[in-house]
Amino acid sequence: MLKITNLEATVDGQSILKGINLDVKPGEVHAIMGPNGSGKSTLSQVLAGNEDYEVTNGEILLNGKDLCDLSTEERAREGVFLAFQYPVEIAGVSNLQFLKTSLNSIRKHQGLEPIDAVSFMKLAREKAKQVNLDESFLKRGVNEGFSGGEKKRNEIMQMLMLQPKLAILDETDSGLDIDALKTVSEGVNALRSPDRAVIMITHYQRLLDYIVPDYVHVLAKGKIIKSGGKELALELEEKGYGWLGIDDTANA
Amino acid sequence: MSNPKEFPFPPQLLEATNANLPKWLEIIAAKASESLQALSLPTRKTENWKYSSRRLDLEACQPATTTLTLPEDAWLPKDHCAYFTDGVLDSDRSKLPSGGIELIAFSEAEADDIVLIENNMQAYLGDNNYPFTNLNAGKLSDGWLIKIGNKQIIEQPLALVFHNTGAKGSVHPRIIIEAGTLSQATIIEEYTGAAGATALTNAVTQVQLQPEARLTNIRLCMEPESVQHIGLTTVEGKRNSLFESHCVGFGGKLRRHDLVVKLQEEGANTIMNGITITQGEQHFDNHTVIEHVAAHCDSQETYRSMAADESQIVFNGRILIHRDAQKSNANMSNKNLLLSTGAEIDTKPELEIYADDVKCAHGATIGQLDKEALFYLVSRGIGKEEAASMLSMGFINELVQRIPVDDLKSIVLERINRFLKETFAQSK
Ligand SMILES: Nc1ncnc2c1ncn2[C@@H]1O[C@H](COP(=O)(O)OP(=O)(O)OP(=O)(O)O)[C@@H](O)[C@H]1O
Ligand SMILES: [Mg+2]
Repeated sequence: MLKITNLEATVDGQSILKGINLDVKPGEVHAIMGPNGSGKSTLSQVLAGNEDYEVTNGEILLNGKDLCDLSTEERAREGVFLAFQYPVEIAGVSNLQFLKTSLNSIRKHQGLEPIDAVSFMKLAREKAKQVNLDESFLKRGVNEGFSGGEKKRNEIMQMLMLQPKLAILDETDSGLDIDALKTVSEGVNALRSPDRAVIMITHYQRLLDYIVPDYVHVLAKGKIIKSGGKELALELEEKGYGWLGIDDTANA
Repeated sequence: MSNPKEFPFPPQLLEATNANLPKWLEIIAAKASESLQALSLPTRKTENWKYSSRRLDLEACQPATTTLTLPEDAWLPKDHCAYFTDGVLDSDRSKLPSGGIELIAFSEAEADDIVLIENNMQAYLGDNNYPFTNLNAGKLSDGWLIKIGNKQIIEQPLALVFHNTGAKGSVHPRIIIEAGTLSQATIIEEYTGAAGATALTNAVTQVQLQPEARLTNIRLCMEPESVQHIGLTTVEGKRNSLFESHCVGFGGKLRRHDLVVKLQEEGANTIMNGITITQGEQHFDNHTVIEHVAAHCDSQETYRSMAADESQIVFNGRILIHRDAQKSNANMSNKNLLLSTGAEIDTKPELEIYADDVKCAHGATIGQLDKEALFYLVSRGIGKEEAASMLSMGFINELVQRIPVDDLKSIVLERINRFLKETFAQSK
């Protein structure tokens, strides 16, 4: 599904990703862990197509298509979804309007008619409920005045609406209370299917109890320095990153 | 004062109008005409016209030789409305209100109304800061006094449509609104014009709110680009009155609106909302003045603007709090969105506070579309142009939604949507 080869990227001329290799097959869940500032969010932004980041080397293939040839919106329409570490607040644009425009853009790409108003509302209500967001949130500005946890739940709600092929969750578990963590995990698990894949960036092994990954990778200083099964996360929890030969003082 | 001979009004604008005014009005008009000989047009050096004087092109204001038609996007109310075609009341199209609210032509005014009109007409005579108000008085063909009776609550908004066909080269509407004690009403002023008209609309509206009166004024500047528009609205609020305004302006060759609100007695309040949108090489200049004369008055001003392409927007918001205006509460916010690097926005809040116990907050910003917000929308599959369009609408929509008349809200939204389509269509 996703094949990243030797990916290097810079921001403001500063090299952040220094040769990433990652192979994600359909149906798999990959967890990426690593110290603060190691490049996890950079990787997720590069995958989503943020133009502030420049890809200087390597390739990213999504089902054989090089993502670097696609604009951000085209990637999303091809099924890439990024749940942001810091979702943006947009005053004046309602969640509903946003979701509807987004969904219809993707449907159009798939050759489908725009969704009718009634089905849309039904779907939106259902998905809001699934992540325990009150319906009133749908009418509010996108993330406007949402609490940290509400923003994260809103990301998952969008994911459930859009049904992406590849979901990248950047610290979606950070700032969630125990119940919300469960809700969000259930949301992600509901999306799991043999033809979808998930990349989860997290600092906490706890999330991985709820969403059990097939692989765990450690990203440090712009490179994946270790990969393993879900036991690796437990080992990291216990020992930190030091034993891997990197300085983990930055890891709060 | 600059040399009066240096920048005179073009002669074709000074020609007397052939109106059959009653003697008392003729005298005022003649005085105004006379004062114009000494007044000069604003120039770059005229402080409150410094960004806009170069836009003035009065030589171009010439009567049209061909028949011009109404623009399609004009709002044409069917009821409770008065149509003025080139300054003349069109009785066929108008459906004047009955009861509670009266429309009286200056030329037909009697007794006390004459005094009221005289006082208003004389307000800026010879004042070099108001050359166009003098021009308006000098060119008076007739004006209208709108009287809302004491305790009258007029549910249905009254719409005044001023249509400039271009036939006269310049039109000078004059309205006086007298809102009686405890009255409530909504008055809409819509300025439209025929596409291609190279005319000037030079409108003056004077509003007096008696104690406890509430007036909502919606002012739409919807003329085609070629029409130059200069407007002055002055308001005087007595005890516990409320003046609420919604000024919606689409740009043109020259657009200028001065809104001067005096909160004269305790408890007089005002809410002023403004939406200004320009594209192409258009221009719009808003100058507002809020004067807190008495204590315990409240003013809330919110103006938002968007300038696309090579267009230019000016905002100057002055708040003047007099020495006796203790416990004044004044809030002014002006947010501006530049939709292209070629556009220009100049904003300047001016505060003059002479009382010591006041709350006064002001903020002015000029920005571009938020990159992070754009990326967020686009990362959900929304096209770049649509995302930009959504964000721009989000920026302005809050103020559109405040317009308390649904018909107008839709007209304004439609017009903004067209603007956004044109602005963000290029790269599609
Ligand atoms: N615009 C930028 N200009 C300069 N440096 C940047 C910029 N954006 C990111 N960086 C740097 O890139 C590095 C990687 O940042 P990134 O956000 O990818 O880390 P992360 O692994 O997601 O960290 P965290 O666990 O704290 O979320 C950091 O050192 C960061 O300061
Ligand atoms: Mg991060």
